Amino acid sequence: MNRESNGYTIIYAAVMVIIVALGLSFTHQALLDKQIANENIDKMQQLLRSLNITAGADEAETRYSELVTNAYLITDEGEKIEGTEGTTPEDPAFSTELGDPTAKGLPVYEVSIDGKNVYIIPMNGAGLWGAIWGYLAVEDDGSTIYGADFGHAGETPGLGAEIAERSFGNQFEGKEIFKNGNFASIAVVKPGQVDTRRDYVDGISGGTITSQGVDKMLLNSVGKYENFLTKLNRN
Amino acid sequence: MALNSKTKAVLLGPLSKNNPILVQVLGICSALAVTSKLEPSLVMAIAVIIVTAFSNVIISLLRKSIPNRIRIIVQLVVVASLVTIVSEVLKAFSYDVNKQLSVFVGLIVTNCILMGRLEAFALGNGPWPSFLDGIGNGLGYGWILVVTGFFRELLGSGELMGYQVVPQAFYDAGYENNGLMMLAPMAVLIVACIIWVHRSKNKDLQEETN
Amino acid sequence: MDAISLIVRSIFVDNMVFAYFLGMCSFLAVSKNVKTALGLGLAVTLVLVITLPVNYLLENYVLKSGALEWLGPQFANVDLSVFSLLIFIAVIAAIVQLVEMVIERFSPALYSSLGIFLPLIAVNCAILGGSLFMQQREFANIGMASAYAFGSGIGWLLAIVGMAAIREKLEYSNVPKPLKGLGITFIVTALMAIGFMSFSGINI
Repeated sequence: MNRESNGYTIIYAAVMVIIVALGLSFTHQALLDKQIANENIDKMQQLLRSLNITAGADEAETRYSELVTNAYLITDEGEKIEGTEGTTPEDPAFSTELGDPTAKGLPVYEVSIDGKNVYIIPMNGAGLWGAIWGYLAVEDDGSTIYGADFGHAGETPGLGAEIAERSFGNQFEGKEIFKNGNFASIAVVKPGQVDTRRDYVDGISGGTITSQGVDKMLLNSVGKYENFLTKLNRN
Repeated sequence: MALNSKTKAVLLGPLSKNNPILVQVLGICSALAVTSKLEPSLVMAIAVIIVTAFSNVIISLLRKSIPNRIRIIVQLVVVASLVTIVSEVLKAFSYDVNKQLSVFVGLIVTNCILMGRLEAFALGNGPWPSFLDGIGNGLGYGWILVVTGFFRELLGSGELMGYQVVPQAFYDAGYENNGLMMLAPMAVLIVACIIWVHRSKNKDLQEETN
Repeated sequence: MDAISLIVRSIFVDNMVFAYFLGMCSFLAVSKNVKTALGLGLAVTLVLVITLPVNYLLENYVLKSGALEWLGPQFANVDLSVFSLLIFIAVIAAIVQLVEMVIERFSPALYSSLGIFLPLIAVNCAILGGSLFMQQREFANIGMASAYAFGSGIGWLLAIVGMAAIREKLEYSNVPKPLKGLGITFIVTALMAIGFMSFSGINI
């Protein structure tokens, strides 16, 4: 058969495309469950890191179910939405992404750790290149930060990407979200500078835009929880 | 199957005398950006070895049937499918590393080693030598990644595979991690040093002009 | 303006060559003199500016999870992202061939200066890298994607022309024997990359 004829070329290409499409779809389907499980474990690890616990992938699930006592969605007014309670990955709190327009509410995780009640709230925003996100653990006075963890999609390695390091997240411990009874959030400032109006942490040198993104994210995402946190603060 | 001297040369040549990075100057592209730690370097090296070996075999098996006009596209499709499979497997079994490698797994497709070896070797040789050639070139590429990753992680964060290896006593005595090592340009500089050492040992590889 | 800031950022801050080492193979092979370097740089920019918007449309209207919703609600859950790598590289290879034919037909002069580089470009990591970064960074619209393509291309051009200029001067330097050629080129690249890092704080 003539290898260079048009017919042969077209048939060859078509057969190849079909084989490749079948092969890839099969691989994808076969591995999908495992991939979703990994994503869930990754999210649990991030939640645990915001509690200053670094858990391996194998123990993340047990530690998560030990510590997280409840999870649910809240309204913008800070009221718990009935029927949304549950901590497993299938429950609404875990599967709701912040910023999703179809979301029914804002997710909150309740944790009891070292005799303290801690609330974890998710955050999301934009860095230099793409999405950044994080989890903020707040003590039951609604103001003191217990811990924080940040992640990013593709910030510059060595610069903006440093926000995912524990050394950045650890700075948040003990900071206050409320200043003189008013919601103020936490500022991220250039290293060496101070912010007199808010509690602040040092940004990443060389990662200016990413640091500003974190600052904005803390203001906007945590701002959505203002009513919820104010209620905790008043109680 | 026993290795005769010719197949041995095919397998071992790329490790040193015919190294894809140091001598053929192929495939520097994607991978240097992932060498800031040893673990992703290792995974990247393994991924590249798998893809070079199997794409070589597949193209070698198909070499008598591929229409010449769409040769490049066929090669790209084979390589891209293999890379997609590798990336899916990584997502399922090594999620953390996959996150660190991000787009660079996909960039294996345009790793010049692949196309270079397919064109230069697999199209003209049988499956078994092609397989060995793929493994050899993958290894030759991989060891450079691993060495680079080793030095960058050791000097940059005092760890290896995430475990602290530089003892606390050093830090107490005033030793500090070299943050510069974590930055991308250092990867290139370390490869330059590897080239330096390699070419001082293999004088026949030295170039005459700059 | 977002687009201008994106262009400046992708030229200087996240330069394809110096921040991600994409397109290093052709970068090392073709940076021996300024004129050919300029030719290859232009070809890369051209191909980037054409392929990236095309891949952007494919990504957002075909490949992404839920992207096929415009066909009807029953397609809302279709996720073809597993094929994205395959489609991107096929589009790039096809467009490179197309561009080659168009240039050959309409501008033989341009073809004789750019033509030899075009086949090389299909496997240039910078091109596929541009599409993959586009996918990861989720640009808001096709304009931003094109701006990113343009900036990345110009950044690559700048890098390779700068490198070629330095290498032309390097002819007269006394380089240690084992470092001649490839070794010194790597070192110069590293130093240039460190130099480019000083742009990293800029904010427009």
